[in-house]
Amino acid sequence: MIRYILRRVVAAIPIGVIVTLGVYALVFAMPGDPLRELAGDKPIPAAVLAAKRAQFHLDDPFIVQYLLSMKDILTGNFGTTFAGADIADQLRLRIPVTLKLTLLANVFQWTFGLLFGIYAGFKRNGWIDRSLLLATLVLLAVPGLVAFFAAQFVFGVQLKWFPVSGVLDGFPTSYLLPSLVIGLLGFAGLARLMRTSIVETVNADFVKTARAKGLGEQRVLWRHILPNAMLPVVTFLGLDLAGMFGGAIITESIFNLPGLGQFMFQAIKLKEGGVVVLLSTLAFLSFILINLLVDLLYGILDPRVRHV
Amino acid sequence: MGVALGLSLVLASCGGKSGGDSGSGDGAKSVTIAIAAEPLEYINPLNENGSPGIQVAMAMFAPLVTTDPNSGKLLNVMADSVTPDKTSQTWTIKLHPGNTFQNGQPLTAKDYVDSWNLTAQGSQAWKNNGFFSKIEGYEALNPETPEGATPKPTSVKALSGLKQVDDLTFTVKLKVPFSQFGLTLQYLGLAPLPEEIRKDPDAYKRKPIGNGPFKLAADWNAGDDIKLAKWDGYKGPLVPEASAITYRFIPNADTAYNEFLAGNLDFVDVPSTKVKTFKDDAPDKWVTSASSGANYLTIPAWDERYKNPKIRHAISMAIDRKAFADLVGLSVPAKALVSPDMDGYRADACKYCDFDVTKAKQLLAEAGGFSGPVNINYSTTSASGQVNAEAIGNMLRQNLGVEVKYTGKTGSEITELADKRKLDGLRFSGWGHDYPSIEDYLTPMFKSNGDANFAHYANPALDAVLAKGDAEPDPEKAIKLYQQAEDIALADMPLIPTFTKSNASLHSDKIEPRVSKFVGVSALWATFK
Repeated sequence: MIRYILRRVVAAIPIGVIVTLGVYALVFAMPGDPLRELAGDKPIPAAVLAAKRAQFHLDDPFIVQYLLSMKDILTGNFGTTFAGADIADQLRLRIPVTLKLTLLANVFQWTFGLLFGIYAGFKRNGWIDRSLLLATLVLLAVPGLVAFFAAQFVFGVQLKWFPVSGVLDGFPTSYLLPSLVIGLLGFAGLARLMRTSIVETVNADFVKTARAKGLGEQRVLWRHILPNAMLPVVTFLGLDLAGMFGGAIITESIFNLPGLGQFMFQAIKLKEGGVVVLLSTLAFLSFILINLLVDLLYGILDPRVRHV
Repeated sequence: MGVALGLSLVLASCGGKSGGDSGSGDGAKSVTIAIAAEPLEYINPLNENGSPGIQVAMAMFAPLVTTDPNSGKLLNVMADSVTPDKTSQTWTIKLHPGNTFQNGQPLTAKDYVDSWNLTAQGSQAWKNNGFFSKIEGYEALNPETPEGATPKPTSVKALSGLKQVDDLTFTVKLKVPFSQFGLTLQYLGLAPLPEEIRKDPDAYKRKPIGNGPFKLAADWNAGDDIKLAKWDGYKGPLVPEASAITYRFIPNADTAYNEFLAGNLDFVDVPSTKVKTFKDDAPDKWVTSASSGANYLTIPAWDERYKNPKIRHAISMAIDRKAFADLVGLSVPAKALVSPDMDGYRADACKYCDFDVTKAKQLLAEAGGFSGPVNINYSTTSASGQVNAEAIGNMLRQNLGVEVKYTGKTGSEITELADKRKLDGLRFSGWGHDYPSIEDYLTPMFKSNGDANFAHYANPALDAVLAKGDAEPDPEKAIKLYQQAEDIALADMPLIPTFTKSNASLHSDKIEPRVSKFVGVSALWATFK
């Protein structure tokens, strides 16, 4: 087990280099001069430009800039953004925001998705199953941007059930509406996957064997059907959760949640390669970590893939 | 089923608490103002040229002089007098006695001289460094820096043109005569910093000490709203009625608008996406005012195909400005190069800005037609860039019969290409002044190598008239000279005037924002009902 984890961690290192290098190259290739974006139409004095360019190594070749950024990240010496914000401070403030949003959104998404998926899987082709299937199709088709603004307007501005934006009301109040919308938009895929998986498993031979052995319905459900039906779902959940840690850019912007997503958006807009790579590295690390957990969970759910 | 159940549970658990309690505050005279930008990282007017930072600094720092919102004339704030010599080259500034900083220290001429010297030092890399380039001795503090090198602090620490005369008097000697210098002094980027901040500016990034009507009400940490309380020590004119101000940063302007509609804000600017709907969304709660600034279609001076002024005039006359202004929204057609609220503005300055298809075709024919497609560049980072470009493009195609194509790029890439003279075709540009003088339109955009010379236009005749205006001490005569420069620019037409936009803002029932045709809408100086 320990060796398996170590092997995974070591294997992640080259992938990490490729990911960060790729992201950095993409930011570097974006058109436009970052400092110009910062200044808008107003002219900046040459001396100011020169000082900023030197501070952020903007005149160095691509690979030097990348290595300097990586050095800063690995030594924990994050420095400041173009606008002068202390990056370590920003991370300290923003990581909790994104964590709270992601976790709450996932609670909703899993609750809706698993409940519906399991229910529909067992009572398939009933009218509830059919109407919920239709509902998930509709949800899958709604663009996030529309849903977020509509929910904000209806439930925040008109009905005043939730705060409109910001984090002034703290956790969980400030996070409820955005999490609910993410959960509702995201649960459709999960529910459909869960439903299909249940349908397949219920008809599998080993379930019939279990029944034939005379096992009770409860035991068949909890020990035989669910663990097997969960396998594809766990993979999906892992990928989904990890993706969310990268920061929900649109959600955070519309609901004015000062999390990693807004930070990322701002950094991309200003072509701040260092910040983008730092955030990508964080997202990458959480991705690796969560997927490692998922793989370990696999072993628990399915004896065939136990790791040695 | 899971959906409906989960939702109703959540709603029940939080239904009691509405979002309305976080807004307007408790005191009767407090206002919460939204700023649609990322939160500020520091408050220092000398290192700030963006509108969010200047807006906050305006509450905490007082300028030397300002524009009287009622008369449009110059009004002394920290200054007692600002007097040019006969040639407008050396200016004597006398401070009003008795003013102090918020730390109790008296405000002296030394504070101005030292703060300005600090900002003029290139290695300090403060954003308002460029302002001091007009003052004698600027080059000594800003030597040429080789590419990629960090500017080093110079051994010279003071502008030779800045001299302290006594505690309340200092003089400024400019490199060349400049009759408008007195007007430039209202720029808030020239505010003084007290000695303790000058010694270690970084330590005071979040602890500003100003000389204006408001001071920080509480510690201000990263991510916090900025809460200000009235400072009793401010003795200048134009004291705002509010006793407390909260600036809340909401980067997404549409979200800020929704926060206002929910009743959590007292003042918000209407974002461009709501220009058509705000009067219905917030009836009786909106104000508009002509925004200071002007918008143009820029024709590159480096492209031979557009060289003939007749082609430029043809393009200008093929544009239906009324229709275009309606498309932009809250706008009126512009036929001058300067903003309508400027002293010296002439509404019909432009002779080639009337919509006249026959004349436009005739001018194009006289110029020998146009070869190849007219490319119109638009910014993909602006919500309306493409729509505006296509509107102009359709007018040119239909009215002039020229071929048109469009190129979308990020705003900064367009600027960068234009700076290198590699941009193909027309682009949109706009300008707002730093000080209210028509000179601040003509010099930056039309003088050879001007700071914001979008078209890379150069005409020695125009430069000469501008220099004459700069050297003319009589304001009326100076304006006449600047108007001559505007006429030259309109005849050459490197920039085609398009429209003047109004700003719209929403305000809560308890305040009435100050609306001035000279300085626009202000929530800081709102009156309470």
